[in-house]
Amino acid sequence: MPDFKAEIRRHLSELGLPPIREAEILEELSQHLEQEYDRALSGGASEEEARRRALEELNTPDLFRSQLSDVEHRVSQEPIASGTREKINIFADLGQDVRYALRMLVKNPAFTAVAVIALALGIGANTAIFSVVNAVLLRPLPFKNPGQLVMVWENAAHVGFPKDTPSPANFLDWQKQAQSFSGMAATVERSFNLTGVGEPERLEGRRVSANLFDLLGVPALVGRTFVTDDDRPGTHVVLLSYSLWQRRFGSDPGVIGQALTLNGESYTVVGVMPRLVQLPGYSSRHDQLWVPIAFSQEEASQRGNHFLEVIARLKPGITLKQAQAEMETIAARLARAYPVYNMRRGAVVVPLHEQVVGDIKPALLVLLGSVGFVLLIACANVANLLLARAAVRQKEIALRLAIGASRARLTRQFLTESVLLAIFGAGFGLLLAFVGIRVLRTFIPSTISQVQTINIDGTVLIFTVLVAVLTGIAFGLAPAIHGSHLNLNDTLKEGSRDSTGGIKGHRARALLVIGEVAISFVLLIAAGLLINSFLHLRKLDPGFRPDHLLTMKVDLSEVKYPDRERRAVFFDEVIRRVRTLPGVQSAAVAGNLPLTYNGDSMNISVEGLPDPPPDQRSDVIYRAIGPGYFSTMGIAIVRGRDFTDEDKADSRDVVIISEKTAQHFWPGQDPIGKRLKPGSSTSNGPWREVIGIVKDVRQNDFIAPPKMEMYLSYRQLKNIPANALVVRTSIEPTSIARSVRDTIWSVDKNQSVADIDTMEHIVAQAVARQRFSMLLLGFFAAIALLLASIGIYGVISYSVAQRTREIGIRMALGARRADVLKMTIKEALKLVGIGMMIGLVVALLLTRVIATLLYGISASDPSTFVAISLVLLIVAIVASYLPALRATKVDPVVALRAQ
Amino acid sequence: MILALLEDRARHGYEIGQLIDLRSRGAIRFNVASLYPLLYRLEKRNWIKGRWIEKPGQRRRRYYRLTASGKKVLLKQRAGWREFVEAINLITGIQHA
Repeated sequence: MPDFKAEIRRHLSELGLPPIREAEILEELSQHLEQEYDRALSGGASEEEARRRALEELNTPDLFRSQLSDVEHRVSQEPIASGTREKINIFADLGQDVRYALRMLVKNPAFTAVAVIALALGIGANTAIFSVVNAVLLRPLPFKNPGQLVMVWENAAHVGFPKDTPSPANFLDWQKQAQSFSGMAATVERSFNLTGVGEPERLEGRRVSANLFDLLGVPALVGRTFVTDDDRPGTHVVLLSYSLWQRRFGSDPGVIGQALTLNGESYTVVGVMPRLVQLPGYSSRHDQLWVPIAFSQEEASQRGNHFLEVIARLKPGITLKQAQAEMETIAARLARAYPVYNMRRGAVVVPLHEQVVGDIKPALLVLLGSVGFVLLIACANVANLLLARAAVRQKEIALRLAIGASRARLTRQFLTESVLLAIFGAGFGLLLAFVGIRVLRTFIPSTISQVQTINIDGTVLIFTVLVAVLTGIAFGLAPAIHGSHLNLNDTLKEGSRDSTGGIKGHRARALLVIGEVAISFVLLIAAGLLINSFLHLRKLDPGFRPDHLLTMKVDLSEVKYPDRERRAVFFDEVIRRVRTLPGVQSAAVAGNLPLTYNGDSMNISVEGLPDPPPDQRSDVIYRAIGPGYFSTMGIAIVRGRDFTDEDKADSRDVVIISEKTAQHFWPGQDPIGKRLKPGSSTSNGPWREVIGIVKDVRQNDFIAPPKMEMYLSYRQLKNIPANALVVRTSIEPTSIARSVRDTIWSVDKNQSVADIDTMEHIVAQAVARQRFSMLLLGFFAAIALLLASIGIYGVISYSVAQRTREIGIRMALGARRADVLKMTIKEALKLVGIGMMIGLVVALLLTRVIATLLYGISASDPSTFVAISLVLLIVAIVASYLPALRATKVDPVVALRAQ
Repeated sequence: MILALLEDRARHGYEIGQLIDLRSRGAIRFNVASLYPLLYRLEKRNWIKGRWIEKPGQRRRRYYRLTASGKKVLLKQRAGWREFVEAINLITGIQHA
């Protein structure tokens, strides 16, 4: 019988069919030809004739080939061993790889689930934090060409205010002289009592220069923004925020032209601003309305009264440096012209974006870094799982290599599997992130104005996909390279031990565990430092007793209560009635509660002492209060007495100072009976006698040490009204909030009451940012610790399983169970030890980054380092104890027989 | 045609070729170069399905059988053919009459 196969193969060879398929066709066709040949022979043909006739069946080889290739190439045949096809067709191969990978993942549901969960945690945390970073740091501010926008501050670093609010006269000079800017606008916070429609309400707002919204490039949603003509005293027009328009006016466009009663005066609504327009500034309040700043003649000439926030737009082509240089020149000129006010006062230009994100940026970057670490650990864990599985799959891999799959092709197959895992992880991660963002929004400090815009947008999605793919490659690469470099001979030999599962594979897994331990050590240290620092913060004495204190803002209308006498009548009556409420221990009038307000300080002169030069005057924070304030707040009076009802407008002017003030102005003396006055000694104000000394209070900043403070009786002040109420209660303070508010309304039904809050909450808010960083980092560190302990557990239990025989021999030779336990745990501790050493070095280098977030402890705080090391060691011992226990259960007879 | 041959039982490629030759009384002949690509195409369309079957004392051979969708196609094609043939008959029948 002639060999027809050779002939057929010749025709098939050009088609490049998968080998298996080619073999099938070869067999089928050769059978056909052989039968043809037999038939010819039995019909009486010679052998040569029969062969010729059989081969005639193939007489149109071109047709045969083209027809076959038509069919066969489109039939996607799955080769038995994937990766053996030589022809490169990336997309066909990719499809094949993906299908194959999917089958492998479905076949190992436990492995897939563990890997996907680990990755989902890692990728989800990254996506959530990145969405915050995206909204807060990356997304441009909602203004036109936001890169050109800057804030301009006075630089009064010599008195502790490197970014001081400019005074109106200085601002007006800047505005006139500066050439670097296409526009410059000032704003100042102002509260408004809205009355006449529904419940009276206090609204946060601002006075703004008329050109502000043009400068920002934000047009009105309805109506118009301000025009230059609005910027005159007496022009009463108002712009509403979107939320106020929605809430109080039902989004009625007809509100334009309506009159509102604000602080007792009538204002005409000229426009509504679009949603999410928030002006940046010192404190990120949510402005509800804006009115023109309209400086009065008197205001415009004030040079020593600093209260403006200034936004400017750089001219195209002008750099920040040029603007900064020009502003310094102008400031120097002003300092020469007005040395009393402007001596040593410079100017500083800050990009608006930096101003807005400046404070939160380090914390966010640290968080982003830490979730990156969490993801790395998750990767290490999955890589570990893949390595363990690669050991199991050796035979399969070896077979494929033997059949002719290239190593590169196999590596790709592995990578496809890991990227696929990562993509599933990313899918679940996105779900986690979605939930996570909702949780995050609730406890991101409200001072971050972009909180509402945090969401999963295109940028975040791209980030997640990138992270997923990179992650897949990161954790898949080692197992892939490792897996495709097998010693074929050894692996295929029947009954051989797992050669790569042995030393090489074990080393790779050990390295991964060391890495995991190192990274989680770093994270734990960072979290430990933040927790420790937060505990320090909570232990800080604010100078008052925040418990059982109810507070609220009661801003009196300047029209209805234009003088101190009428204000005093109102407050006296309110206090009298509130004190009779059940559950109330005491109540007092206050001005600007601690930790709710930045500003209000003045320099003072002391009787008998020469005025210091203008640049060396020290600012003293002042507050207007009523009698009983100190006892209600729980501020200790160190010497002297509290204000009484007798400290009135017509009695002797008095003042109470803080310990720090006393020490600064009268070191080593008794200040009681001494006199001081605001401003220079030649100013018009009256001398005020010191009647008491109280403990320092953290007024503006909870974290910084207290500054000098003084308290004035509000009845003795013409222009500084008290604007708050504090109530000390014997019961839960919020439970009587309503009755206190109703009591105020019983005195004046149009009086607005706002910001009803407990002092405890205000203090908590003051450290909200620190708590935010601490909680998140603590949470991530906990995930890291969990993942790392799973990693340790996995490696040790795998190693125990691998060494069953060895352990069996040891036990047969007389090793006791305790020895085996010790040996196994020692192995784990060796890895953990090395990991911790590396982590220690990295932590010492990296914790400097979070030094700015710490309070009261150093970045290399020894107690934190020791405590965290102990935690990690204990977790490592627990994680390795379980598999170690299993090792001791090895029965020598069984273990040895198994081989 | 091939589908019809596989209607009652599975056959291997050689048998199919022979049957076509026989039933068409030599009018239609497929050689290997055209028969097998056709079979593979039908298989790809999922109208027929080939399987290697070993019978005692014989080499294993690939037998093709009709699939469910093949049967449907066959029914459709048969109807189509019948209409076609009837049409031809009608045309040619007029001449005979």
